[in-house]
Amino acid sequence: MSPDRSVNRRAAAGPRRWLALAAACAALAVPTVAATRPAPARAASRTLTIATNGSVDSLSPFLAQRALPTYIHRLVYDFLTNYDAHDFHPVPAMATAWSTSADKLVWTFTIRDGMTWSDGQPVTADDVAWTYRLMMTNRDAATANGNFVANFRSVTAPDPRTVVVTLNQPQATMLALDVPVVPRHVWESHVADIGTFNNDTRFPVVGDGPFILSGYAKNQYIELTANPTYWRGRPAFDRLVFKYYKDSDAAVEALRKGEVDFVDHLTPAQYDALRTARHTTLNRSPGKSFYALAVNPGATTTSGQAFGDGNPALHDQRVRQAIMHAIDTGALVRRTLGGYGEAGGGYLPPIFTANHWRPDASAAYAYDPDRANRLLDAAGYHRGADGRRTTPDGRPLTLRLLGQTQRPADAQNATYVAEWLKAVGIEVTTRIVDQGMLGDIETAGNYDLAFDSWITNPDPDYVLSIQTCGARPATAGATFPGDDFICDPDYDALYARQIAEYDPAARAAIVRQMQQRLYADAYIDVLYYPDILEAYRSDRIAGMDRQPQPRGMYSGQDGYWSWWSAKPGKRSASPTGPAVLAGGVAALVILGVGGGLVVARRRRAAADDRE
Amino acid sequence: MARYLAAKLAGASVSLVAVALTAFFLFRVLPGDPVRALTRGRPTSAAQLAQLRHQLGVDRPLAAQFADYLLRLTHGDLGTSYQYKTSVTGLIGEHLWATVYLVGTATLLSAVLGLRSGIRSAWRHGSVGDRVRTGVAVVLWSVPSFWLGLLLIVVLAVGVGPVPGLFPTGGASTPGTHGAVAVLTDRLTHLALPCLTLVAVIYAQYALTMRASLLDEMGSDYLTTARAKGLRDDQVRRRHAVPNALLPTVTLIFVNVGFVVSGSVLVETVFSWPGLGSLFYEALSVPDLPLLEGLFVVFSAAVILMNLLADLLYPVLDPRVRTA
Amino acid sequence: MTAADPAPMSRGDRRRSLVRLGRAYARNRAGVAAACLLLATVGAAVAAPLFVGAADLSAVHAPGAPLRPPSARFPLGTDGYGRSMLAVTVWGARISLAVGLLATVVSVGIGALVGICAGHFRGWTETVLMRVTDWFLVLPTLVLAAALASVLPPGTATVVVAIGVTSWATTARLVRAQTLTVEARPYIERARALGGDHWHVTTRHVLPNVAPLVLAQTTLTVSGAILAESTLAFLGLGDPTAVSWGTTLQLARQVGAVSAGDWWVLLPPGLAIAGVCLAFTVCGRALEAVLNPRLAGRR
Repeated sequence: MSPDRSVNRRAAAGPRRWLALAAACAALAVPTVAATRPAPARAASRTLTIATNGSVDSLSPFLAQRALPTYIHRLVYDFLTNYDAHDFHPVPAMATAWSTSADKLVWTFTIRDGMTWSDGQPVTADDVAWTYRLMMTNRDAATANGNFVANFRSVTAPDPRTVVVTLNQPQATMLALDVPVVPRHVWESHVADIGTFNNDTRFPVVGDGPFILSGYAKNQYIELTANPTYWRGRPAFDRLVFKYYKDSDAAVEALRKGEVDFVDHLTPAQYDALRTARHTTLNRSPGKSFYALAVNPGATTTSGQAFGDGNPALHDQRVRQAIMHAIDTGALVRRTLGGYGEAGGGYLPPIFTANHWRPDASAAYAYDPDRANRLLDAAGYHRGADGRRTTPDGRPLTLRLLGQTQRPADAQNATYVAEWLKAVGIEVTTRIVDQGMLGDIETAGNYDLAFDSWITNPDPDYVLSIQTCGARPATAGATFPGDDFICDPDYDALYARQIAEYDPAARAAIVRQMQQRLYADAYIDVLYYPDILEAYRSDRIAGMDRQPQPRGMYSGQDGYWSWWSAKPGKRSASPTGPAVLAGGVAALVILGVGGGLVVARRRRAAADDRE
Repeated sequence: MARYLAAKLAGASVSLVAVALTAFFLFRVLPGDPVRALTRGRPTSAAQLAQLRHQLGVDRPLAAQFADYLLRLTHGDLGTSYQYKTSVTGLIGEHLWATVYLVGTATLLSAVLGLRSGIRSAWRHGSVGDRVRTGVAVVLWSVPSFWLGLLLIVVLAVGVGPVPGLFPTGGASTPGTHGAVAVLTDRLTHLALPCLTLVAVIYAQYALTMRASLLDEMGSDYLTTARAKGLRDDQVRRRHAVPNALLPTVTLIFVNVGFVVSGSVLVETVFSWPGLGSLFYEALSVPDLPLLEGLFVVFSAAVILMNLLADLLYPVLDPRVRTA
Repeated sequence: MTAADPAPMSRGDRRRSLVRLGRAYARNRAGVAAACLLLATVGAAVAAPLFVGAADLSAVHAPGAPLRPPSARFPLGTDGYGRSMLAVTVWGARISLAVGLLATVVSVGIGALVGICAGHFRGWTETVLMRVTDWFLVLPTLVLAAALASVLPPGTATVVVAIGVTSWATTARLVRAQTLTVEARPYIERARALGGDHWHVTTRHVLPNVAPLVLAQTTLTVSGAILAESTLAFLGLGDPTAVSWGTTLQLARQVGAVSAGDWWVLLPPGLAIAGVCLAFTVCGRALEAVLNPRLAGRR
């Protein structure tokens, strides 16, 4: 162990030692090299790289529940129908035509002719029927999408081009079945382990979408390659890579450098800063989500048993409406969103024009503190000498406002809302907690006001269903499919009518009526709809299709339009050569600096010894 | 000697068992229902919720879950992750190399840098060089690592003014790189910044410890004797003082490795490094109990193992312990 | 590390030795500079309400536009809400210092108590306490603190507890070693023979001798605690409504200030953390050097 005895030998071996250090680093690098699966080689392939921070729970269409893998499935498996790029209406995909029986219970789909799986096998009606039936009969297979087939009585494939679905009850969402259809000949062998098979053991994965899933490294990247035989036409880019960035700032920096070609979910500051970036095109689209203030109506179970400690003052509609009049939603949009959003109105965001409902100017909750004061006075909550209101039995009117740390807007909005409500005499205590704790407090019904946000779909059924009586928990304090314990029989009656209404226009009319009810009840108050802010490298991507059009988004579409239609720009080949090499050299220099110092010192020391 | 070894091994085993037991209860008190976290925002019926609850095993009484956990643990099985639906041991195995690669390289470099800088400082203590080196070390020791990482991204990955952005902003590799040389340079460029951040934050401790223990050593009588024998200062330093002073620093380096592994959570988050730290950060928000338990055991085991290694190395480095 | 005085001290002795320590400390230029910096920071934090009003910190009625570079009106620019970065940084010192100091009190308090008890009572008490200490030493501190911070209700107190409870083990070990040295001295045996009970021996003899070491350890722990506060805030586990250096950095990250190149929101809190931690570390090292004369000439 004593280092001096070998000084001369080491000095002679100086450069070798330097190399040894580099080799040691390289040796450490080898396992990661081996751990990442090699992608199929294509020398000058055109790659479109997209930054993502989504996590992948599973790549199996039967298990995946997270946003990123379900989005990937839209790209690699075709669904029965797709959503139009212009206005989200259902358009043919696997199914080219459909019809319903007079009693609304039998749906017959005609399957596209000539489609093939990426292994050359034909796509048939049997694949569709088998996939759906598996989810109906196998509880593990129902993990992700079981809800879509819960109302199915039977699914059959009388011939290779026809699928017949028989329902228990009429279901208007039959053209919005977001269920990937898998190849039976591949998946049949996985039925036994369907609950644990993650579809990530053999690449490329057999599919029939515009892209083929060809590589995946957990928390690193997902790689797709163009499907040359896709029926709608081959995508122009050869490869699509979703690269994982945990930190959104790092993703933006990567865009500036050209490491990635597309970033989404930009903050207003990032978006504004990218205005001056070279070769960068910005895109601002209305979003699909709403951000709301949920008011506790008094938590109850499906059997009507009350629990939780929501403030009874909120059972008075005037109090709830006063709260909305006291909040300046326009200011929230300006302050929190930097102007990138729209102030709240109806429950469904304006991007879904067919279903969106807008309150009349007379009925809208405009920012009007005087009106809020009058409503509160009328409800019997009078102001004391200190300006604070008290309940009719003399206690101070204090509300708790709940937000979560993982949603950055909450802390900011909580500060604003607390100050506004204080101005009309309502004391507010804010609590911004971890999302897990927020969930616990909400399921226990122990809140007064809580921030709430949902991403909505082209078909409104799901977001409407979470506000029905049936979405409440069966037992007090259990996790439940709903949102805010709302139970309004009139709303539920409308809900039942819309699901049985097959005429889109008539159904939309009912859906608007439902939103009007929610708005007047003021239990779930939409504060704003945030815009989606995106940016891409214009030197890599010449153009893509938005959804909806003309103003719409590229990422997070209901469909594959953007990536499928993306045209390569002038510099679309993957970065190679000098830049990477220069970085490599610099890295070696940094890593070698320690070793280099040692060598230098050793040499000098050795020289001293020799004197 | 055998007794010394046996005692150390026994101590480490007891700690390991204690840690495994802690892991189970520590994370069970975390708030949040994993079922809600996994299904929120997706059409999910009450029946699906119940099915998922059953699949995850969270519908069973705590005692039964604990018995299950112990039984699995005896087989070296850490359970199935809630969010990845795959075995925790496998997940940790997949992410372990990235962390070992980062922490290993960083430790290697900071040990080399720290020892050199400490030795130089001690030998010429009081000189301008010593003050600069000690100053730099103490300053870096006081900087928050995530902040340093962000600054490095801005300056060295993106580039400021004339400085070009030479390094990638995150990740451990570029997907689809081929050829041995290309792959190697790709891995090294990705490694550089996170590694630099870690080195900057941890080398200071080694430098300061080495400096202090060498100063201690240099006051010893035997060095005076050695000098009196006519050995030159330089030889005295390398042949006698340094080897003896290495002991506390090497021990520290070993003990520290374990902590650097769990401390890399921050650096891994900033640089999107696909290691155990990112895995932990993700698992915390669900909460993915089996994964958290597994990571906790691995993080603690790393510390215990490194402590044990240091204990075992001690008699090799310092003969005095052998007889003690 | 050994204490300077091998004999029991009278009150006068103690005062004289304090004065001597003070003089020795005053000779350490870096130590004095660091102490001055700390005093200035603490002064600024205490005096902050005099020149930073509630209006300056209000998110709703923020005085400026968000994320504006330094100007005559806002010498350090504005943060993500439009508040003056100067006001926010000065105000942040209050919570960051408070959390750092309180967490240290908790941590060193537990550590000193456990250490003295283990060193004084020996036997099975020592075995049990040191096993617990060893166990806390191997637990990954950050992981444990993160878990604690998400269990407890959010707020400054939670951060204090999370940091304090997870970082006391090192102090306990040091204090125990020192207690053992002190208790081995002859005058302790004399005190015991004269009928001094545990309380008397530990408070009158052990504590005064351990105190200097605890003080040095305290200053070193503070910088760790301030770093831990910013770390928890960075991971989103702090109280986002409180204005501290950690939450200011977290806010800067959330609004995307890093990639926007808004250096004025990143540098002040980061430099403040680094500066204060540096000052505490330098003070701690200077104190150590003063208390341990064998090292004093060499540092």
